[in-house]
This record gives sequence, structure tokens and C-alpha cells, in this order.
Amino acid sequence: MRYLINIWTVAKRECKILFVNRIYFCCMLIFPIFAMYFFTSLMDEGLPEDMPVGIVDLDNTSTSRSLIRRLDAFQSSEVVAHYASVAEARHAMQENEIYAFLYIPKGTTDKLLASRRPKISYYYNMSMVMGGSLLMKDLKTISTLGSAAVGQATMRAKGYTPEQIQAFLQPVRIDLHQIANPWTNYNVYLSTVFVPGVMMLFMFLISAYSIGVELKFNRGKEWLARADGNIVVALLGKFLPQAVVFLLLIAYYEFYIYGVLQFPHVGGWGYIVLLAVLEVFASIGFGIFAFGLMPSLRMSMSICSLWAVLSFSLAGSAFPVMGMDAPLQALTWLFPLRHYYMLYQITVFNGYPLLDAWFHLVALVGFTLLPWFVVHKIKNAMLTYVYIP
Amino acid sequence: MSIFHSLYRRILDAAYVWREEMRQVFRDEGVLIFCIIVPLVYPILYSWIYNNEVVHEVPVVVIDQSHSQLSRQFIRMFDASPDVRVACYAEDLDDAQSLVSRQVMKGVILIPSDFAEKLCRMEQGTVSVYCDMALMLTYKAIYQTAMAVSQKMGAELQTKMSSNYTAREDMITTRPLDFEDVPVFNPQGGYGSFVLPAVLMLIIQQTLVLGIGLAAGTARERSRYGDLVPIHPAYDGIYRIVWGKALCYLMVYAVMGAFLTLVVPRLFHFIQLAHWDDLLLMMIPYLLACVFFGMTVSCLVRYRENVMLIVVFVSLPLLFLTGISWPQSAIPGAWQGVSWLFPSTFGVRAYVRMNTMGGTLGDVAPEVRYLWIQAALYFGAACIVYGHQLRVSRRHAQERLAYLRKKREVRAALKQHHATAANLRTNN
Repeated sequence: MRYLINIWTVAKRECKILFVNRIYFCCMLIFPIFAMYFFTSLMDEGLPEDMPVGIVDLDNTSTSRSLIRRLDAFQSSEVVAHYASVAEARHAMQENEIYAFLYIPKGTTDKLLASRRPKISYYYNMSMVMGGSLLMKDLKTISTLGSAAVGQATMRAKGYTPEQIQAFLQPVRIDLHQIANPWTNYNVYLSTVFVPGVMMLFMFLISAYSIGVELKFNRGKEWLARADGNIVVALLGKFLPQAVVFLLLIAYYEFYIYGVLQFPHVGGWGYIVLLAVLEVFASIGFGIFAFGLMPSLRMSMSICSLWAVLSFSLAGSAFPVMGMDAPLQALTWLFPLRHYYMLYQITVFNGYPLLDAWFHLVALVGFTLLPWFVVHKIKNAMLTYVYIP
Repeated sequence: MSIFHSLYRRILDAAYVWREEMRQVFRDEGVLIFCIIVPLVYPILYSWIYNNEVVHEVPVVVIDQSHSQLSRQFIRMFDASPDVRVACYAEDLDDAQSLVSRQVMKGVILIPSDFAEKLCRMEQGTVSVYCDMALMLTYKAIYQTAMAVSQKMGAELQTKMSSNYTAREDMITTRPLDFEDVPVFNPQGGYGSFVLPAVLMLIIQQTLVLGIGLAAGTARERSRYGDLVPIHPAYDGIYRIVWGKALCYLMVYAVMGAFLTLVVPRLFHFIQLAHWDDLLLMMIPYLLACVFFGMTVSCLVRYRENVMLIVVFVSLPLLFLTGISWPQSAIPGAWQGVSWLFPSTFGVRAYVRMNTMGGTLGDVAPEVRYLWIQAALYFGAACIVYGHQLRVSRRHAQERLAYLRKKREVRAALKQHHATAANLRTNN
């Protein structure tokens, strides 16, 4: 009971600090919500639409023009310019005017009609992988369709049925099932990892910061005194209000992406809530641990920010962990965002049983318990360290 | 005093500020971390992460319900491709799903029992592909391989059906309009070659802003009134302070910038097409813009740690705003406008187009022009904020001086008072 009262008094003190210092308000609410709106609005289209494509049409016949018209009608591509030569088109690409171009050499239609197998080519800029590969898909489809159109016309003239033509032109059909994200929506794919990543960054930083400023403003002894010198009580009281704020923040984020934007969540709300709770506690745990490891405000915050920035890459959501070198694969275990991402995609996104993600669950619980190793160091720091600017 | 003499004095003062700032950079461990260690270590770490560039041999589970020569041919061809590997066979979809859910497999290929039957009946045969969409790269590898194999097999079946005489006829039947697929500038579609140039340029800006902000925070905390500008004769003009500090960071980042843009790509064999002179002409305005941007931001922070809270998290949004990972044409107009505030937007675009896409300085002229404009504007902004800081610290100095004078006067008056009182006493 005494402990509970102490926790309550420390929590009340912390609430006052959170209200007075504007930086908390910014970092716990404004910036994370800004990041949330940034990513979700940036990728609102889901897939980039109408990317600029150029044309080098030296043939200039109705056949080539129909090919170009059809390319323009695709979702990702928009024909924005015609060029007189490949060199000009390449130059336009280097000037960022177009991301890809289709080259139709002179005499293509003639050769096509004479069955002399003409060759067209398409060039796409892979220095931006996402745009490049989407355009490649369109350009490849259009080129294949160009071939198919010839076969179709010949077979129709010979009197085949549409089914026969279809079966001849494409004997083996691929029936694609994009589980849980049938639209290949990049918003669903990226915002669900990067936004929690940014929130985690703030949880790391704020946890380390809020302990560190006690030292900086020389309030550490007073803080411990409120908790009767019990560091565990002091920490619990200190992080109770912060955890509540962060939980509310994440609840808002979950509500926004699953409730308003309707992101797929096959696993249901039970897992979503579990994930949110684990994320908050694991991140706060990591932040406290970082401070305990190096009880200096600037060092612990530097570690937290460097760790959080690295975790965007090592979470393995953009470039898969299986493609990295073995030592890095092991290193990813040390990043809470990695476990968050795995837990999210297994349980919430794909709706698989929690048992398949047990390791990541345990890891996040482990991060929550990390401060246990350093509580005495923190207490010692509060009682004896002096802040030097 | 002649003009030359006063100019000489100003230059001397700027050099003094430069030296003081330099000393602070190397003395302050926070600044040291962000200005020296991070630019040295992070690029290497990132390059290492993305060094394998592409994913090969993505594990896929196959459900072959057809058990026919044709289905086995499909599986063989699928397995033989570089990007995927048939890691195991399953009996049914539930079986396969449990493998995917345990993260052992990334996708499922299901060949239905009527696959061969349909093909032999000259109907369309279907192969179902189920992909785990949590990873776009593995999804792409599986789907594209399946497509390629189905087209290859389809072409073989077409030639069998169409009773041609020559190989040339076969080619014309299967593909009357031939096409060539040419990925340019990053032919293997490598992830590192695509994202790393952007990350390198972003590291320059972010570490500069962090370093300058931390140094400014330290300067404030050292001072009695929390002033950014110390009270010293050399710190007596805006331009001296701004140029002196800028020169210090330019000096450090001349080295760091060369390391990031020249050494790191060479170490990890990333694409490197930029000419050194073009690169130099682009990097000068970029560094200037970043330094003055950092100085402007640094005046806004009260405590040294706050700069970390503000600057670190914008790195990722800034990376997206450069138009490298998300195409520039798809960025909404409002965010495009926001992106114009940051040097990194133009720096990354110019660097990528010169370094990765082999453009010349002429190709990135608009970007370089924007960088010069930004450098000029942020220089103006830095002068304004430093002018303000200078006035604040002068006022504090004058207040302090007035306080000291007053104290002396009061003391003297008191002393006199005591003396007269003592005199009076002795007289009495």
C-alpha cells in the first residue's frame, strides 16, 4: 500500500513535469502524429500512379500509336513526351523528366506484317527501384500484348474460338493470390512499420531524456525522496504517466489506420492491442536501459537515437533480413522494431497464430524487463552524479 | 582606421571564432559523436546491410497435386531460377500455410490436379501462387519467377502445337514482336545501389544539423545567461560569428563529405559515375546550405538535447521526400512544397542523378541552383538569428556591467557612509 501511494505521488510529480516542459508535449503527441499523417498521406495512392514515361517512336504508324495509347492507359504510366532519339530520351531521364521510355524503331510495323520479327525495347530507371519495377511491369505487359495482338489477329482470321485463342496465346496462366494485401498497397506495407518505428524512436528518447533531465536540473535526489529511496517505485511512478500517454497515442494511431484508413488486420483487435502494449513497454524498457548503461543524458540519448535510426533498416521490412549477411541477421535481434515488425506481420497482418511468433513476443517482454539490470546503477547515478555541461 | 585595417581585424576575429568552434567540436563528446563518428561509421554499417543488393533463393513450398510430367517440369524450371528455390513440398494448402506462418517459407505454389489434363486438352492450365505480402522483395521474386516460367513453358507448348518446320518459324510463332528489357543505371535492381546514395547525402545534412545544434546547446549552457554568443571582443559582429562558425564546420565536412561521396561507394563497389569536378561544384552549395540551415536551426533550441529530439526523427520523412524510395511524381504537392525547405531534397536528387545515373552538372543545374538559393537564404536567416542572439547577449552584458557598476557605487557609498559615521563617532 505504501508503495502504491509512493508510486502515485511520483506519478503526480511526473504529470506536472510533463505539463510544464513543452518538449514533452511536442515529442509525445505532436511529432509522432505528424509522422503518422506524413507517411499515410504521402502514400495515400497506395501505388504510385501516372509516372512519367517517354516515347521514342520512329515507326509512327497506327500500330505503334495504338501500343502507345494502351501504355498511357495503364495505371502506373503516363506518356508525357515524345523524343526524336534514344540519346535524347536518355538525357531526359537524367534530367528527371521521365522515369522510363519505350523505343519503337523504324520499320517495326512493316516487319511485323511481313513476319520478320521486329524488336522493340524499353528502358527504365532502376536507380529508383520502386518506380522502375512498376514501370517495367507496364512496359513488359504492353510488349507482350503487342505480340499477342498479332497472334490473335491471325488466329481469328483462321476461325478459332476466343477460348482456343486464349489457350494458345497463354497456355499456362498464373493465378496470383496476394495474401492480406491484394492491392499491393505500399501504404499498408510501409506505414505500418515506419510510423511505429518513429513512435518507438520517441519512446526511447523520451525515456532516456526524462531520467537524464532529473540529473541535469539536479532533481534526482528529490525524485528518489518522493519514492522513499526505492528506485523501482520511483521508476514505476515516473513512467506510469508516460506509458499512459504513449498508449493513448498508439491507440489513436491504430484507430486511424485500421478504423479510418481500413488497413487489413486479419488478426483482429486482440492482437493489435497486445502489440501496442508490448511496443510501449519494450521501448520504454529499452530507453531506461540505455540510460542505465551510460548514465549521462547526452550519451544515452545519442545511443537511443542511433539505435532507433538503425532499426528502420534492420527491422527488415524494406530489405529482408534473409538477404543480409549472417552477423547482421543476428544483430537484428537486438532491435525492438524488428520484433515488433515480425509480431505485427505474423499475427495482425497475416492472422497466423501467436504461437508462430512466440520468440518475438518473448523478446519484446525481455526488452521490457531490461531495466532490471541497471536500476541500481540509475539510483547510484541519481544520488552521486553531478551534471557537467 | 583604414578600411583594410578594419577588414583585416574582422578576418582575424572570424578566424578566432573559427578556432574556438573547432576546439569545441573536438572537446564536446556529443558533437564529436555526430560530426565525426557517425559520418564515419554509419555509411559503412548501412553499406554492409545492403551490400548483398538483391535477395536470391527465396524459399517456396510447392503443392503438386497434378503429379505429371508437365507439373514437374514447371517445378524444375521454377527451382532452377536464381531468385527462388523450392525448399519443400506440402500435401495441401493448410500444410503449406503452417510453413509460411512459421516464417520458414515465403510463398506457396499450388499446381492443381487438372493442370496437365487441361494443357493436353489444349485448354488453359492454371498455377496458383500465394505470396506472403509482408515483404515486397520476396513477393516480387516469387511472382516474377512464376510469370517468367509460365511464359517459357507456354512458348514451348505453343511451338509443339503449331507444327512449324524451322526454328525461325517457332520464334515468330511464340513472339512475333520481339522485345528487349533494359534496366538502366542500376541494372541488377540492387537495393543498396538505389538507397545508399540518398542515405549518404542525408547523413551529411542530419549529422551537420545535429552537430551544430549540440555545439550551440553546449555554448548556451556554458554561458551565465544561456546566451549563444559569448561575451568576447572577437564576437562583435554578425558576419564574423556566422562565417567563423561556418568555416569550422565546412572544414570538418570537406573531409567527411569527400569520405561519404567518394570513399564509401568505392569501398563497397556501388555505382560511381560522377566526375570529381561536377561533384565538387554540387557539394559546395550543398554543404553551405546544410551548414547555414544547421546554424539557423541551432538558434531555436534552448537545451542541447532538444535538438536530438527534433532532428533525428525527420531523417526518415526527409528520405521519402527526396523522391528516391517513393517516386517524386507521386508525392502530393503540399509535401513537395515542404521538401523545398530542406537542402537534402536537392542534394540527394543532384547526387543520385550524377553519381548513379551518370548525369553531368548541366543535367542537375536546377537542383544546384536551388541549393545556391537555399545557401543564400539560410545564410540570411543565420545572420538574422545570430544578430538577435548577439543583441541579447550584448543586453545581458550591459545589464551585468550596469549591475556591477551599481554594486561598486553602492559599495563605495556604503564605505563612505561608514567612514563618515566612524569619523563622526571619533569626532564626538
